[in-house]
Amino acid sequence: MAYVIGIDIGGTFTDAFVADQHGRLAAAKTPSTPPDFADGFLNAIDELARELDIPAGRLLGETDYIVHGTTSTLNSLVTGDVARVGFLTTRGHADSISIMNLEGRYAGLGSDAIQHMARTAKPSALVPRHLIKEINERIDYKGAVVVPLDEDGVRQAVRDLLADGAEAIAVSLLWSFRNAAHERRIRELIHAEAPGLYVALSSEVSPRIREYSRSVTTIMNTQVGPRLDAYLRPLQATLRERGLTGSLLVMQGSGGCVSADNAPAHAVTTIGSVLSGGVIGCTRMAEALHSGNVISTDMGGTTFLVGLVVDGAPARTSNTVLNQYTISTPMVDVHTIGAGGGAIAWVDPGGNLRVGPRSAGARPGPACYGEGGVEPTVTDADLVLGIINPDNFLGGRKKLDVTLARKTIAERLAKPLGLSVDEAAAAVYEIQNAQTADLVRKVVVNSGQDPRDFSLYAFGGAGPMHCASYARDLGARQVIVPIGATAAVFSAYGLATSDIVLTAERSQPAEMPVDPARLTEAFESLETELATRLAEQGLTFQTVHYEREADLRYTMQLAEVSTLVPNGSLDAAAVAGVGAEFQRRYDELYGEGTGFPDAGLQLITCRVRATGTLAVRPELPDHLPGDGTPIPSGTRNVLLDITVGVQPTAIYDYQALGAGHQISGPAIVEAPTTTVALPPGTHGVVDRLGNLVLTFAPAGSSGLARAGSATSGASEKESV
Amino acid sequence: MPVIPIAGSERFGQSEAPLDPDESFGDLALHRVDAQAIAGVDALTYEVIRHRLVAVTDDMGEAIKRMSGSVVVTDCNDFGAAIMDELGETVQVGLYNMQLGSSLDMAGRWTLRNRSVSPGIHPGDQFLLNDPWIGGGLHQNDVTVLAPLFYQGQLFCWTGAVAHQVDLGGVSPGSWSVDGRDVFWESVPIPPVTIVERGRLRADTEDMYLRRSRVPKLVGLDLRAKIGANNVAHERLTTLIDKYGPDTVKAVMKRMMDDAETRLRAKLRMLPEGEWSAVAHQDGGRADDRQVHKIVVRMTKRSDRLHFDFTGTDPQVEGIINCTLAGLRGGILPILLTMLCPDIPWAPGGIYRCVDITSEPGTINNCTFPAGIGKASVNSAWATQNAVSETVAEMLATHPELSRSATSVCSGTWDLTLLAGVDQRGGGFATMLCDAMAGGLGAKVDGDGVDTGGVNCIPMGRTADVEINEFSFPMLYLWRREEVDSGGPGRYRGGVGGSSCFIPYDSPAQGVHLVVSANGKALPQASGLAGGYPAATQWDVLIRDSSVRRRLAEGVIPSRIEDLGGHTDTVPPHLETDLGADDVYFTHWQGGGGLGDPLLREPEAVARDVALGKVSPQAAERVYGVRLADQAGSDADAEETERLRHHLRQERARLT
Repeated sequence: MAYVIGIDIGGTFTDAFVADQHGRLAAAKTPSTPPDFADGFLNAIDELARELDIPAGRLLGETDYIVHGTTSTLNSLVTGDVARVGFLTTRGHADSISIMNLEGRYAGLGSDAIQHMARTAKPSALVPRHLIKEINERIDYKGAVVVPLDEDGVRQAVRDLLADGAEAIAVSLLWSFRNAAHERRIRELIHAEAPGLYVALSSEVSPRIREYSRSVTTIMNTQVGPRLDAYLRPLQATLRERGLTGSLLVMQGSGGCVSADNAPAHAVTTIGSVLSGGVIGCTRMAEALHSGNVISTDMGGTTFLVGLVVDGAPARTSNTVLNQYTISTPMVDVHTIGAGGGAIAWVDPGGNLRVGPRSAGARPGPACYGEGGVEPTVTDADLVLGIINPDNFLGGRKKLDVTLARKTIAERLAKPLGLSVDEAAAAVYEIQNAQTADLVRKVVVNSGQDPRDFSLYAFGGAGPMHCASYARDLGARQVIVPIGATAAVFSAYGLATSDIVLTAERSQPAEMPVDPARLTEAFESLETELATRLAEQGLTFQTVHYEREADLRYTMQLAEVSTLVPNGSLDAAAVAGVGAEFQRRYDELYGEGTGFPDAGLQLITCRVRATGTLAVRPELPDHLPGDGTPIPSGTRNVLLDITVGVQPTAIYDYQALGAGHQISGPAIVEAPTTTVALPPGTHGVVDRLGNLVLTFAPAGSSGLARAGSATSGASEKESV
Repeated sequence: MPVIPIAGSERFGQSEAPLDPDESFGDLALHRVDAQAIAGVDALTYEVIRHRLVAVTDDMGEAIKRMSGSVVVTDCNDFGAAIMDELGETVQVGLYNMQLGSSLDMAGRWTLRNRSVSPGIHPGDQFLLNDPWIGGGLHQNDVTVLAPLFYQGQLFCWTGAVAHQVDLGGVSPGSWSVDGRDVFWESVPIPPVTIVERGRLRADTEDMYLRRSRVPKLVGLDLRAKIGANNVAHERLTTLIDKYGPDTVKAVMKRMMDDAETRLRAKLRMLPEGEWSAVAHQDGGRADDRQVHKIVVRMTKRSDRLHFDFTGTDPQVEGIINCTLAGLRGGILPILLTMLCPDIPWAPGGIYRCVDITSEPGTINNCTFPAGIGKASVNSAWATQNAVSETVAEMLATHPELSRSATSVCSGTWDLTLLAGVDQRGGGFATMLCDAMAGGLGAKVDGDGVDTGGVNCIPMGRTADVEINEFSFPMLYLWRREEVDSGGPGRYRGGVGGSSCFIPYDSPAQGVHLVVSANGKALPQASGLAGGYPAATQWDVLIRDSSVRRRLAEGVIPSRIEDLGGHTDTVPPHLETDLGADDVYFTHWQGGGGLGDPLLREPEAVARDVALGKVSPQAAERVYGVRLADQAGSDADAEETERLRHHLRQERARLT
């Protein structure tokens, strides 16, 4: 037997998923155990073994690999529990990480926060000033040495840093990605002073142009590397003691994993480790269902995450923002667009009803939790409307108090607005859904896509209650609610089905057309580097695949667009093809004819992504087929459409539904981990994997359109 | 020689009053709603549509940024986008350059009045203008494209997109001519012309427009970006109207303005009655002008209204620093939005209803044609903003809660460094260095201003990395850093500004052309508040025939101007020159003003500032009255500090 396991550790729950190659699956959800998350990890393994009815030792003994999504790195950075890092940089540029291109004052904040300009501020310094040392050395944009390295200066700086208590040293010099000699020599000098000290070089961690984010990335890597090592090393040892013979792998933000031994040196890539599981889960599910383009929406209790799968591959980004700092490491692009079920509804001083962006968070949470929350949230509205069954929330694990929800909505919303409690709750539901549609649309359109070409996947505890409305508003083709075998642990499922993905990149800014031989050489050297790292993983791969891309831009524009580059040896025609592909992609992103080819093109960064496919890829089992018409488990009054009001609504127990069963809205489907709302005009069918697939009757039969014409697209459209 | 009035130019100037709601414009049918419809919108519909209108404005901004080819737009956010109602009143402005959202209403009104008969306003038309007397932008580089949206044959509303264009002609590259004496030295303004006619781009108008530019293709691309942004907005708005009906959508637009007005009035009523005044100075109206020009404002707050009276402001000058009424409003609106309306919808149409303006035409911030306005945005408009900032912050400082959104004056002006010439690849280039975007923000009532935090009118500015600049342009930086003592001292310190120092590098021409234009060199511009001191003056230095190349070859990167050798010249406010191979340019932009008496600042905070290089040991002692335990800072000598501060207070009172 060969098992694969996915373990996803979130702030509240640790989700686990196991599969063998014969389609046998098991899932477990256990509480996370901060601060020592490893305990929760081991509990989850025990729980999986119980589910499979085998001893934990046997499960571990027969496991090929465990893929771990960890908050360790992110937590260290967010809480500031990081290694004490000394920083060496080029003389004259120490302030780069505090000037932060000034964008650090607002990066990652919502527009509500940015509008309050006097209250915006930069985050606290990444490295205290006394732990930053400037070095006399300079390399120019071509990689030529302008000022030789002052080695005595380096030695002195390192001694000062060590005397000041530095546990690790980050080195980021100007133009080091063009010429890494000074950085490498500095490492030698450091190790001569302090053998074995954790040292990270920007030319290795993030060899990309733009010193601000390169330095930030290198520093953060140095801060978390020693901590990640201190977390993984004992965990791996314990797993070995308990019988694990296979590999422990760690999920990276890029959506692929890396071996636990190899992870600390590239620690910064594991930021986003827990975010990408859901998107990878969607990618695998989309493969199984041939969905192609997917909008993944994960609406939990405290966050609302959106990701995209385009043509079967997750949309990626090469930068991300953490604590207002910009990090340059390739990642799956996951957008946080809202506060999830905990979003607070309020009446603003102008007497207008608003939802979000503030959140009641996990503590105290919505009023109906009875844990001290006094402000009405989206979850409270869902409960008042009858969408949530107070006795069956999270499979009955949490009892909800309708009285508290009604009370706060009555006092804080209905009364000031002159509405009934039901009306106020319905308004919160509709506003939340409309805003979600606005925000999801923005994510899709900004990536150059049209939401009408997508299927929308909805998961997370609260997503399926709202997805029918916002998906319809967006014009998505269909909604898929994955509530089959993977429902509770969708992200963990994503982990267990992931590949090894390693990325190598290097900026080589040059005017197009670049010399084909040099470009080939650049890509080949990245591929050689990746082949070595793949071998270090200690795994057997079914296939290994290299994907090349280059970031190009029009001269004078600051932003680059990632462009696919063919494999193998490149000739002049291939280089021209890369330019053409960039222009095509640019038009797709920004609109036909918006490029500025007369400015000329520049190739900035080369990147290669190596994917090693693992030997075991769990298949999802078929759902049992259902006979005839499904029988509702009951009926209750639910308000799903404000134009209709409260109506008796059929309630279905998901566990009684079989593949092929069809349901028409208004209806509610209750599953152990979530509740699916089907407003009037929604049609649902259970597919062969047990997912609930929702489609909609043509527009106009429902929704908010009370005033005027409800047909869309009828008016003339003026365009150039 | 004084500016000579031009007969016939009067009709391009206008007041800032809204149009009469019943006014008719040829046979143009306007979609209007009555008060009953406005009152009839329920809370749910209002919020859903409001959120979508805000999203549409965001979409417009994104569209401009993504389609533009110009760094000033894509990175410095020097553009604006807005939705206006059928009469041109602004319903919603985006979070970009707020100066550029401040007078789109004036442009809309003028177009209605002057274009409805000939050439007419039709579905699918869009109008281009860059005439700051009419509105839209602040100087000729700000080009506006206005687009009326028709629904069922009626003019339903307008959208407007405006962005700074890199060059539209005139004597000098970038259209910043430091020698300019009137508008005819500059790019000559274009009043509204039909650029898109019934959905088709007009080739003749486009050629007429682009012919004047040194970079016509780049400007042509930005033109398409703005037209595209309007198209995006119209598509989205039409879908919205299809769904909810024109009356409901329009009622929401009107309610958004009413809501902003009501809430701003309520906020003003919370504040005490009073009068606050401020003066902003600018040194030099063009190259060789050594006069100081002042803008005076007296702001009166009565009940729920604000009155800005600019009486006493200097007459317009023969130079480049004047601004029109649009510029004056561009100096008011950003302050109202960030300080008074951080929690109120950004609907200028409603906000302006709470404001009266008194200003005499022919003055430096309400100039008449053909006064030079080439640098209006960063001169008189910016200086107006500094003065308005001071009065509004002083008013807010009287209120325990509302004072939280006040700051002292942020970054006193824009330190223009324009480079042009031949780049390292042999191609021509012209660029505005955006380093000065990292100005210091003013101090707050409860904390220090943000160091290198930005400028007030652009909440989301950005600077390029040193590596990007060195890759793109023939230059090599010796440093880019925060500058000691550049933030205004105070109980709460103003944010520090910074400096860049660079040499021409690797250009086949052995040098670059340099245009410098920035005030605030003879006197400070970012004032302090409540006893706080102003931020340091701007300081630009040109070092001719330096020894820098020798120093670099010897293995040393100089960190001080004194170490550069050669001849050192402090650069006047306006200068156009060439940088040679051995020359070094140093540009030091402004920080933010301080707040409260520096003698009240926590001594530990001063010591920490010294350790971090934000304050010098000398300033700690002389300005803050703090005696350090050692020169490196980090610890203050409490006893000595008390004695020193007592002495300084005695000195102030002339008791010593």
